[in-house]
Amino acid sequence: MSEMGPLVKVRGLKKHFPLTGGVFRKVVGRVHAVDGVDLDIYPGETLGVVGESGCGKTTLGRTILRLLDPTEGTIEFDGKDITHLGHRELRHIRRQMQIVFQDPMASLDPRVTIKNSVGEPLVVHGIARGPKMREMVLELLRKVGLNEDHLNRFPHEFSGGQRQRICIARALALNPKFIVMDEPTSSTDVSVQAQTLNLMKDLQDELGLTYMFISHDLSVVKHMSDRVAVMYLGKIVELTPHDIFRTTLHPYTFALVSAVPIPDPRFAGKATILKGEVPSPVNPPKGCRFHPRCIFAQEVCSEEEPPLRDMGDGHLVACHFAGALDFGKSVQQEYAEAAENGAAM
Amino acid sequence: MSDDELVLKVEDLVTNFYTYEGVVKALDGVNLFLRKGDTMGLVGETGCGKSVTARSILRLVEPPGRIEGGRILLYVPNEESGNVEEVDLLKLSEEDMLHVRGRLVSIVFQDPATFPNPVFTIGDQIAEVVMLHQDLRKEALEIRIEELRNALDKLEGKGGLVSSTRREKIRERLAHYESQLDDPPEPDPKYKKKAALKIAEDMLRLVKMPAPDKVMMQYPHELSGGMRQRALIAMALACNPLILICDEATTALDVTVQAQVLNLLNELKKEVGTSIIIITHDMGVVAETCSWVTVMYAGTTVESCATEELFYNPRHPYTAGLLTAVPKLHENRERLPQIRGSVPNLITPPPGCRFHPRCDYATGICETEKPHLKEISPGHWVACHHPLPDKGGKR
Repeated sequence: MSEMGPLVKVRGLKKHFPLTGGVFRKVVGRVHAVDGVDLDIYPGETLGVVGESGCGKTTLGRTILRLLDPTEGTIEFDGKDITHLGHRELRHIRRQMQIVFQDPMASLDPRVTIKNSVGEPLVVHGIARGPKMREMVLELLRKVGLNEDHLNRFPHEFSGGQRQRICIARALALNPKFIVMDEPTSSTDVSVQAQTLNLMKDLQDELGLTYMFISHDLSVVKHMSDRVAVMYLGKIVELTPHDIFRTTLHPYTFALVSAVPIPDPRFAGKATILKGEVPSPVNPPKGCRFHPRCIFAQEVCSEEEPPLRDMGDGHLVACHFAGALDFGKSVQQEYAEAAENGAAM
Repeated sequence: MSDDELVLKVEDLVTNFYTYEGVVKALDGVNLFLRKGDTMGLVGETGCGKSVTARSILRLVEPPGRIEGGRILLYVPNEESGNVEEVDLLKLSEEDMLHVRGRLVSIVFQDPATFPNPVFTIGDQIAEVVMLHQDLRKEALEIRIEELRNALDKLEGKGGLVSSTRREKIRERLAHYESQLDDPPEPDPKYKKKAALKIAEDMLRLVKMPAPDKVMMQYPHELSGGMRQRALIAMALACNPLILICDEATTALDVTVQAQVLNLLNELKKEVGTSIIIITHDMGVVAETCSWVTVMYAGTTVESCATEELFYNPRHPYTAGLLTAVPKLHENRERLPQIRGSVPNLITPPPGCRFHPRCDYATGICETEKPHLKEISPGHWVACHHPLPDKGGKR
C-alpha cells in the first residue's frame, strides 16, 4: 500500500485549548491536547489510535477533519493542503471525509426520522431529494443491515447497535473515502459490538474505505487495525504495523497492554500495574512525557524529548532507549503462547 | 454447598416497572447466591437486569419499579450468640432497611463523577456513613482522653509558668473519662465527628489513597476518576459490610487505572473479609477478580458456576456466544463470531426461554416452556433445555 501516496498526511499538528481565568477571562494556561503529531494514513488501511482518556485521540481525529482548527502544523488530504481552507472549499472536501461519533443517541436528532437524518447530507450537498433521496437512503440502510420498515421511524425506536448502524449509513451517504470512527462501539454491548465491527470491516472491503479508528479498547483496536498509533499526552509514542500485544518497543505501550484484563482465570492477578495517573496536559512533564511513570527512566529522559524514530519496517517509536529495553514477557504474551499451544479455550 | 457458608441468597426475584408503554418485566425469576469471602461476578449485557438486581437487593428500586416476588435472604451473624440469622430483606420495614444499607450491604455505583456529593469534602462524606451506622462511643472517648493527655504534656513542658491548679483540673477530668472507658456514655457530637473522621482517614489509607490527610479536606472535583472511585470504595467499606456490590465500578476508568482498582479489590478482600459482587459486562474483569460467576440474560439467571468452569466449560449457548464474541488479544480473526439479533424488549419478552429467538439450538420446547435453573453437574447451574455438551476433561 505504500506505493501510493498517503491519503491523509499530517505534519507537526498541534491543537491547544486556552484556559481562561479571572474577571477578564485572561488566558492563564493552555491545554496541550495534541502537541506535535506526524501521521500518514494510506488509502484502504485502518489506522487505530489508542490511549487513555485525555491523551488527545479524539481531538486529533476532529482536527484532521478540520472540525477544530489546528493551532500549528499542516493537514493534507488526498494531496491537497486543507489546513487553511475556508468554509466553502471545506464543504467540498468534507464530502470525502466523514465521522462516526461515540454516542449515536446524541448524534441523531430525536425529532427527525431516520430517512431525513440519513438523507440530510444528500440534500445539503444537492445530490438528491424527494423520492430519489428516499431510494438512496433505502440503499444505504440495506447496506448496514436495516430495511424499508425503518425509514420513517425515530431514533428512540432503535436499539443502541441499530442507532450506530444508522450513523454509519449517514457517514456513507456521500460516498466518502475517509471515515474517522470515534469510539464507535464503546457504548454498545459485546454481542452487538461484534456485529458493528464485522459490518465496518465488510463495508471497508466493499467500498474501499480508509478508516481512522479511535478507541480506548486495545483488543478492539487490534482487531480492526492494520497499523496502531499509541498516544500519550498529545503525542504519538509508538506507531506499529505489528501486533501490539506481541511486539512493543515503548514502555508505555507495554504497560498499557499489560493492564488489559485477560479473559482467562488462570492468568488472573498477573498484570503489570502502572503507577500513578496521566499528568495534566496543561503542564506536561519536561523531556519524555512518560518519564515520571516509567520504570526505565534515566536522566536524559527528563531533559530531552525523544523524537519518533523508525526502528525498521515502519515501526516508529519515541523513546531514547527503544530496542534496548528488556520488558520481560507480558501476561498477554504468555497467554498468547498458551493459546497457540492449544491450552486455552 | 451447605447453607451455612452463604451470606446472600436470592430466590425467584421478580421486579417489574410499570411504564406508560406497558409493564417492563425487568427481573423474571433471578436466582443467585454468594458465599462468604467469595467474589462473584454478575455478567450480562445492558438491560439484562444486573443493576436492577443490585438495586433490588438493597431495595433501592424506585417507582415505577416494584419488587413483586421472591426472597432475598441475608445471613447475618449475631455477635452475641454467635449464630447466623436468616433475614428476608423484602420483609423488613423501611426503617430496618436503613440499618442494612451501608452497614451490612453497601454499593459502589458506576459513574464516579456523579456519586460523591460535590458540595461536601471527601472526609465529611465518609464520616457521615460512619456516624450513621457505627456506635462511636468508645472511639470518641479515646480521642478525648488523648487530647487531654496531649494538653497535659504541653503544660508539663512549659514548666512552672502555668499554675498547677490547671494541671490538676486536667488530671481530674482525665481520671474521670478513663473511669468511663468500660461503659462509655453517649459522646459529645464534636468528638463523635472527630472519631468518625479518624476512621474515614484510616479507610482512605486502606484503599491506598495517596496523601489521605490531604484528600480528606478535598472536594470530589479535585480528584481524578480513579481516586474518586477509591474514595467511594472507602466509603462503602467504612462500616465493614458483609457484602460489597460494585456496580460497573471500573467501567468508566482507563485500563491502567482499572487494573489498579481491580488489584485493590483483590487485596481488600483478603484484608477485610467482605464478600463482593462485581457487576460487569467485561469478561476480562471477571477472569481477573472473581471466583464465581452468574450470567444473566433478559432478566433471568442463565448460568452460575465457578469462574474456571465457566470459561472452559460453558453450558448455556448464550454464555458460549458471549465468550467468543469478545475480540481476543492473541487471535488474528477476520471476523468475530456474533450472536444474531439483539436483546429482546422486556415489555413483550419472548415466551418460554427468553434467549430462544437468538439461539442456534432452539427447539419447540424452548418456545413454550421456561427452563429452570438446574444443577446439571456438581457446582454448575444452568437454565437451558438443551445445554451444550460437557467438555469435562478437555481443557
